[in-house]
Amino acid sequence: MANTLRLYLTCIRNTLEAAMCLQNFPCQEVERHNKPEVELKTSTELLLNPVLICRNEAEKCLIETSINSLRISLKVKQSDELENILTKKFLRFLSMRAEAFQVLRRKPVQGYDISFLITNYHCEEMQKQKLIDFIVQFMEDIDKEISELKMSVNTRGRLVATEFLKQFI
Amino acid sequence: MACFERASPALKDILLKQYRAEKPMEIDHHLYEFGSVEYHIQTSASDPYHTYLSISTPLLSQGALLSHGLSHYTIEMVKGVSSDVMEIVEPAKEGYQLTLSINFDKIPRGKDAVKAITEISSVQAVILSSQLKEMLQNVNSQVTFQGMYKPIKLVYHPREPFFVIRQPQKIIAVFPMRFKENSDVIIATAFFQELMDVGSSQEWAKVPPCTWSPIPPPELRGELFEDLSTNGGFVSFEISSHHVEGKRLDKTVWSLLNFYAYVKYHVKCTRGFIQRRMRKRLESLVEVLQKASSEEKKLFEKDQDGGWKYIRKLVSLSKSKIFKRRYVNLSRKIKRLRFRIKIHGFGRFRRRWLRFPKFSSSRGYTKLD
Repeated sequence: MANTLRLYLTCIRNTLEAAMCLQNFPCQEVERHNKPEVELKTSTELLLNPVLICRNEAEKCLIETSINSLRISLKVKQSDELENILTKKFLRFLSMRAEAFQVLRRKPVQGYDISFLITNYHCEEMQKQKLIDFIVQFMEDIDKEISELKMSVNTRGRLVATEFLKQFI
Repeated sequence: MACFERASPALKDILLKQYRAEKPMEIDHHLYEFGSVEYHIQTSASDPYHTYLSISTPLLSQGALLSHGLSHYTIEMVKGVSSDVMEIVEPAKEGYQLTLSINFDKIPRGKDAVKAITEISSVQAVILSSQLKEMLQNVNSQVTFQGMYKPIKLVYHPREPFFVIRQPQKIIAVFPMRFKENSDVIIATAFFQELMDVGSSQEWAKVPPCTWSPIPPPELRGELFEDLSTNGGFVSFEISSHHVEGKRLDKTVWSLLNFYAYVKYHVKCTRGFIQRRMRKRLESLVEVLQKASSEEKKLFEKDQDGGWKYIRKLVSLSKSKIFKRRYVNLSRKIKRLRFRIKIHGFGRFRRRWLRFPKFSSSRGYTKLD
């Protein structure tokens, strides 16, 4: 792993460890409602300052925290058009299957490619450390997968081009 | 041109059935294939040994259109296909460009029969490629229009025309590429760049040089705007005389005619490949979360197991201790029975909250009168 990526991921891991202190907290405005405060933002006293971690202009991570929920939004690097469509395709594919992940948001926050919403219930169901591991590994895997996909598409293209040109010989 | 096989699979199937039938069957089939190709296969009861195959296919270039539909060269090429089995019927059936009479009795028995029928099924490909062959054979002829080499527009599919430009010592085939989706354009562009890279390497020096540009090449100057408006750019192949020598001519023609289909097939397969890979990746990503969830459950179950063990420990006490406990419990119950008012937990409540404070004064209590 590149040094800059390691630092970026370590920073996100540390921030998540600090931010993921969630507790059950019913809504203050509506009786018998229990909603993620980071989404509703009804009471400012229940929200913490959002943390933005940037590796560069194209790669960043926004961590928004509240008393009972946490929202993580990621922007994945897209250096060229092929990476751009591969990233869009892949993240759209994942978002459409959000129910499989439990913590994945169907629609990303504006300006980001993918968002996760972790509530206190998720922390109770799954181990906090494992959740953090998942987010960090997800980020690593996405980068790796997109660069591998790009390479595969180019390799396939080269093979197909070779086969086409063989017909002229 | 949706399939790369020259022979039409449906036509081949019907002709094979007719050939293998023990008794001659009366058939009347109309077949429609991609690229506005139409076949009509007819065998009448009055003449069961002859099958009539009529073909209607769009011509590549309107310049090649003659009074009877096909050029002399094309007719000669068709005559060359299984000449002893089929004959051209003049005039062709109304609405079709060519009608052939097939005599199944003359088809050789055994493996050669399938070969002969496959050849008959590929007549449409022969018609199509003969037009381009005619152009490519004249590589060295120079036809100029107002000092310019006029491009010839070849239309196989209305949305997919391509151009052939005759120049001294070479012919340039230009393909304007159009795609419906933006993602297709990007996948195809990556392919064109690879095609250029591979073609320009020394290993592939014998293949026609290939170039891709997002803007129309200068040879197409003056063509209609709608023909030059593309989203996938323009791919050009420079065909020189040694690419059309002998058997190579057939291969070159078929490769050029199939180029659109080839690119679109590659794009479609790449999309499928990406989808398959994403699905596989999804499974591995979900696995991490599921592990976390299952580990949490295991921990919970472990806690529960611990509780039972504790109970089991209690159960496995010695008999004397059990009797002692029973005696203590019984004596407590008897004490409770002696109380007049029995309220569960009241004793504890009374001890804590209903305790009367003791007032003790050094002076003692003095009654006031």
